[in-house]
Amino acid sequence: MDLREKLIILADSAKYDASCSSSGSKRQGDFGNAHMAGICHSFSADGRCISLLKILLTNACIFDCKYCLNRKSNNIKRAMFTPEEICTITLNFYKRNYIEGLFLSSGIIKSPDYTMELLIKTMELLRYKYHFGGYIHVKAIPGASEYNLQRLGRLVDRMSANIELPTESGLKLLAPDKNSDKVEKIMNYVKNKKSQNFVPAGQSTQMIIGASQETDLDIMQKSENMYHNYNLKRVFYSAYIPVNQDKNLPSLQTPPLKRENRLYQTDWLLRYYGFKVSDILDENNPNLNILVDPKASWALKHLEEFPKEINKCSYKELLQVPGIGVTSAKRIIKSRQYFKLDFADLKKMGVVLKRAKYFITCNGRFSLNKEFLNSHFIEANLVLEDHNPSQEKTYQMELFHE
Amino acid sequence: MNKVYVYDGTFLGLLTLIRYLLSNKIKPYNIVTSEFQENLFLEVINLHLKISNNISDIFYQIFDKVTMKRVYYVFLSQEENKEIIIYYYLLNYLKYGYSLSGMRNLKCVSKVLEINKRVGNEAHKLKGFVRFKELKKGILYAEINPDNDVLEIISRHFKKRLKNEYWVIKDVGRNMVSIYDKKDFYLVLGENVKITEDLSAKEIEFSKMWQDFYKTVAISERRNEKCRRNFMPKKYWPYLLEVRDEL
Repeated sequence: MDLREKLIILADSAKYDASCSSSGSKRQGDFGNAHMAGICHSFSADGRCISLLKILLTNACIFDCKYCLNRKSNNIKRAMFTPEEICTITLNFYKRNYIEGLFLSSGIIKSPDYTMELLIKTMELLRYKYHFGGYIHVKAIPGASEYNLQRLGRLVDRMSANIELPTESGLKLLAPDKNSDKVEKIMNYVKNKKSQNFVPAGQSTQMIIGASQETDLDIMQKSENMYHNYNLKRVFYSAYIPVNQDKNLPSLQTPPLKRENRLYQTDWLLRYYGFKVSDILDENNPNLNILVDPKASWALKHLEEFPKEINKCSYKELLQVPGIGVTSAKRIIKSRQYFKLDFADLKKMGVVLKRAKYFITCNGRFSLNKEFLNSHFIEANLVLEDHNPSQEKTYQMELFHE
Repeated sequence: MNKVYVYDGTFLGLLTLIRYLLSNKIKPYNIVTSEFQENLFLEVINLHLKISNNISDIFYQIFDKVTMKRVYYVFLSQEENKEIIIYYYLLNYLKYGYSLSGMRNLKCVSKVLEINKRVGNEAHKLKGFVRFKELKKGILYAEINPDNDVLEIISRHFKKRLKNEYWVIKDVGRNMVSIYDKKDFYLVLGENVKITEDLSAKEIEFSKMWQDFYKTVAISERRNEKCRRNFMPKKYWPYLLEVRDEL
């Protein structure tokens, strides 16, 4: 099998991993460096950013996770790179500026530690033989020893493990060889060891959405716990794509992209907007509203807290306004030290009023007649603003600092 | 009569003229290069000022680093009347100092910040979108055609990233070439550089592998043309190996 064919097989097997960010490290090598904000090098036909050469070391695997294309019971073509082959492709792609670095994951062959040894070998070649300074994200193998986690973590910018499913029962059903203890052991290890020389860009994880019965509440609570317990930089949500047939798997026509989008929005609210999961979801409302984004949905339920006066309210309150993000809020705070803002000023500053206009006043004035400011009217308008099937967008915010 | 001042088209030339105007308290109607179309209602003045060696030092003493970077980015843009925007920004800085950048209700401020965002975004995008070809003797060669004059900004990036390679980047639209000799880069006029595109032995193989990889990573169930074009506008596609054929 030639290198080209291997690359196609092992890129195809790796593509369902959502993570592609390349930010958070400022490594400098003789050949290549990392860029603090990360750089996207291309965008594939599905609109996702390509910044890393995302491949598996091998797609052979001793595990049989139901949702996974590479499970051992699948009859697919298997391939395996040698460490030198991975170096050849990485260095040649990097030199031509196709990529920002390498994302390397692997199926598990023989044993977790045997697979780890191969990953370590590859990283040692890249860093010590070729003095490669580009970004490397590696997936640690669940069940690997601490000794090997330590060796691998010293060589890479990000090391992480995917939890895949938010509950233990989901894992039992769909990934019987995996358990969350093994994955969380890696997360805990990385959190405690993280330093300038060990996984400087931190860790992330991924959950598959829609392969099992979990509610959005289950998923977001899991995220909240993981952010809190392991200092994760990101949780990625990946709409389940039915690659296998199994009695335990749902038969989906299309991947639940809108749900994935709403989960990302909620994730953003947790990390940058001061929200807690309990503000947005509870046992009685365990799933997000597909029609309205989570912040607007929250605001509609708490109309008594609005309108916010743009010239007076705090930064935290600004962030609660639907349609006002971190950038706009900061601009407003900075500008209102010098002059009183009205609606025209907001527009000039690039603040989008499409949603915000129902929830704010400028110098006591509303942008539209007050009698329309009831939840029924606003919701009807917001749904239409948001409902533009031709413009379904996947959530992409690579440039936003993590 | 409205007075229009002419400068030589370089950034230092513009600073020299602005320094003269500010210290003589002259408010120009416009500042233009010599390619400017004259008309009856304008008085055109070319002072032919000599650019002194320390002109940028003088500006750095009066204006802070961030301000200088901002006006430089405006200078690199395609904006019509960018010179007069820079003049008013610096004039107002003398009055308001550091707090100026918060005063977005001033036209010159909102303009400068908006243009900065545009130029900065394009420079950042191009750090990813440059595609080098490996020529014989291992020289890396890329062509770009950006809206804004970001060749110097991205050259600084590649000077750090590919510091032990020889590379050449050509801005096709402006006919400017940046040449890096493993120590520093030099910006040269296109007609002074002759490039023969003799590819290295491995070049075709790796460019094919990249095209394979690009096609393979897309998840067909998630196909989203609009999203792709939003992040990677078509104007860049002629220089992007992996999508050129889709044009």
